[in-house]
Amino acid sequence: MQKTLYKVNKGLDIKIDGTALFQTDEYHTDIYAIRPDDFHWITPKLSVEEGDQVIVGTTVFCSKDDERIRFVSPVSGQIERIVRGEKRHINHIIIKSDGKLNSETVNLPEIISKETIIDTLLKYGLWTFVRQRPFGCIADYHNSPKAIFISCFDSAPLAPDYQFILNGYENEFQEGINILSKLTGGKTYLCLDSKRDNSFFERTKNVDLQYFSGPHPAGNVGTQINRISPINKGEYIWYIEPQYVATIGRLFLNRQLDFTKTIAVTGPVVGNPRYVKIINGASLKDAFTLKAVDKSGFETDETRFISGNILSGHKVDNECFIGYYDQQITIIKEGGRRRVLGWMYPGLKLWSNSNTYLSKFITRKSYNVDTTLHGGRRVMMFSDTYDNVFPMDIMPMELLKACVTKDIDKMEELGIYEVTEEDFALCEVVCPSKTECQQIIYDGLTLIREQA
Amino acid sequence: MSRIEKTSEKLTRKFKTNKGLSHFYALFDAIDKFLLTPDSTTIRGSHIRDSVDVKRLMTTVMIALTPSLFFGFWNTGYQHFLSYGIQAAFWKCFGFGFLKWLPIVLVTYISGLAVEVFFAQIRKEEVAEGFFVTGMLIPMILPPEIPLWTVAVATIFATLFAKEVFGGTGYNFLNPALVARAFIFFAFPSVISGDSIWIADKADAFTGATPLADVALGNISSLPSIKDMFLGTIPGCLGETSTLAILIGAALLIVTNVASWRIILSVIIGGLAAGFTFNLIGTTPAMSIPPYYHLLMGGFMFGAVFMATDPVTSPHTNSGKLIYGLLIGILTVVIRVCNKGYAEGMMLSILLMNVFTPLIDYLSIQRNINKRVSRWNSAKSNKNSR
Repeated sequence: MQKTLYKVNKGLDIKIDGTALFQTDEYHTDIYAIRPDDFHWITPKLSVEEGDQVIVGTTVFCSKDDERIRFVSPVSGQIERIVRGEKRHINHIIIKSDGKLNSETVNLPEIISKETIIDTLLKYGLWTFVRQRPFGCIADYHNSPKAIFISCFDSAPLAPDYQFILNGYENEFQEGINILSKLTGGKTYLCLDSKRDNSFFERTKNVDLQYFSGPHPAGNVGTQINRISPINKGEYIWYIEPQYVATIGRLFLNRQLDFTKTIAVTGPVVGNPRYVKIINGASLKDAFTLKAVDKSGFETDETRFISGNILSGHKVDNECFIGYYDQQITIIKEGGRRRVLGWMYPGLKLWSNSNTYLSKFITRKSYNVDTTLHGGRRVMMFSDTYDNVFPMDIMPMELLKACVTKDIDKMEELGIYEVTEEDFALCEVVCPSKTECQQIIYDGLTLIREQA
Repeated sequence: MSRIEKTSEKLTRKFKTNKGLSHFYALFDAIDKFLLTPDSTTIRGSHIRDSVDVKRLMTTVMIALTPSLFFGFWNTGYQHFLSYGIQAAFWKCFGFGFLKWLPIVLVTYISGLAVEVFFAQIRKEEVAEGFFVTGMLIPMILPPEIPLWTVAVATIFATLFAKEVFGGTGYNFLNPALVARAFIFFAFPSVISGDSIWIADKADAFTGATPLADVALGNISSLPSIKDMFLGTIPGCLGETSTLAILIGAALLIVTNVASWRIILSVIIGGLAAGFTFNLIGTTPAMSIPPYYHLLMGGFMFGAVFMATDPVTSPHTNSGKLIYGLLIGILTVVIRVCNKGYAEGMMLSILLMNVFTPLIDYLSIQRNINKRVSRWNSAKSNKNSR
């Protein structure tokens, strides 16, 4: 077994309160939702109407461009509502579960080959878990990827521990690996954090283990690909989160269509941060208690629910539906309080990665952050701040400028194929000019897809 | 919501909706955001943001400038009284200098901010903080006896043609403060050159030549002592004479990471290297002065610490910063030593390197691109050979 250590020197760990305790609760709800916006560049084509009965595995919608890419119901029950926004954009498809979890019967192919695996995954709606770089969208099954990456640790703030989540699912995980590794002619990489206990993943066979150390984004698959096997133009890499490897394994091992996943409920204002076992798409509105009014006079209705982490997750409403690919929800305070002459404060309690605040020189255990923007939007000026948190061999500011100016050749040459917006999340956080780096990269990628 | 927040909200609504007042919205907004941090929250992307903003960074630069500024107040008074042979008290010197500086800085801010606010209003943008530093820098690099109308004309010219025509702070490619000085230098040379202007209300009998002028004329023997030059008790522009005060500011800028230590260091190394090389040639008196004299004379350190490090007009890459800094240092000393007509080279060499900054950045970017493209090509040829 190969053992290599990649050191990530640049990056940033943001210390905030509210890490999940190592305790898993079962959580049941009867409201589930699929949010088409979770899938980048997919135009949904609905297969159901309000009031239709569905069972686990019934197609809810498919991609307009490729009807084989199907998005299926995670539970059995009834389509309760199709929530639309502006221009009839589908925001959510809400399913009311009957609690029975009746499922489509699973027929596995007799010969396991790349083609039959892809067919099976497409048929049961599990293909959507496999994503690709470039673009970070659902993998195009016509391509052959040069490798498959599975990042077995998440370095984002308050992220869940995958080894804890997967404990007890060794067989499913191994089966999932066996199946997935048939999809590539190259290697299947498991990327591990050298500082954690990796005994679970180290027992896995048929994989290439790679070790990483350093701050976030060491756990981002983009960083890992950039270090191990950077993407060249025209190449593809597929990646998938460890939990969904087990989901795929379950299908092939137990002939079971089961969208159960364990997520972490985290955040500084959560009273009971812990892990909960849910079915994908669940409404989590009763899964947590919020802390009462704190010293700064914050009230519980001024909270932001985020599906995913605070860097690249998306804001959700009070129903708190978990995103399709998200492994945690984070709840933080809404900000927006104005401070008198704020630019003059020594800044002992404010979080900052910049040395202009004294807090940088004093090690605090963690910060109670909120959503304040802390400043007005300005022109991008300070490239150093990006460079210090961006570990890839890419010039972040130049790439952003190429995206803003819509210069596709420059974007390609500066490495747009190696990144997605989540790789720029830290740049966005530390930017003194408050540039929306993630949106710029997303728009750049969208432009390339439109031109292609 | 506190009372002050409520007042601000009420006024904001008034300035937005009232027809007459809405013309002054940019001005109101700038003052409002100066007094209170903005209440905006994250909408897209990351949900939390760093507490730092451009205002904070610019404030840090302002704080870093204060040692030089305060020393400049005192020195302006000290030089004045010295020319009359009077030993004046500390506060008397300080007050004299302050009163010399005050009208200049007021003229700078009023004329410059008028342009900034006007453009912010028609562009419907917020007033950028860049000018607060520029407005502070301009009086510090001018002689204390500068006519106020030239300051106003130069500031307006610099803000308009070095910054606003390109889109405002962040889009300019020349340092606006230096453009203002260069404008005065070329348009009104008499008010910024010669021996008579560096000491405020100088007694006629006193020479008042700056060390650089002495060097240019070959009067090496009349140079002030190293201690005087380091502490800054010499005639010169208001804020640039004290190397010590500048170094205190530099320490703050480097610790807070606001200015690049790479640029500051490489400018110094470049200057020393050029000075040393001229020592080896040594045919004129100016060539044979010790290299470190160049650091102590004129605006060398002030330029290295506060002008060359402007994040907008300096290169973005680390290697680019080193090249840029080295060339500034070398060019400054070359201009000082080889050009009899103009004693100070710092201003022009920084402006020249500002112009070359995009080229330096281009080379660094191209290196990154070439690396990637050659990786693509080798991957392609590997595939084909298989």
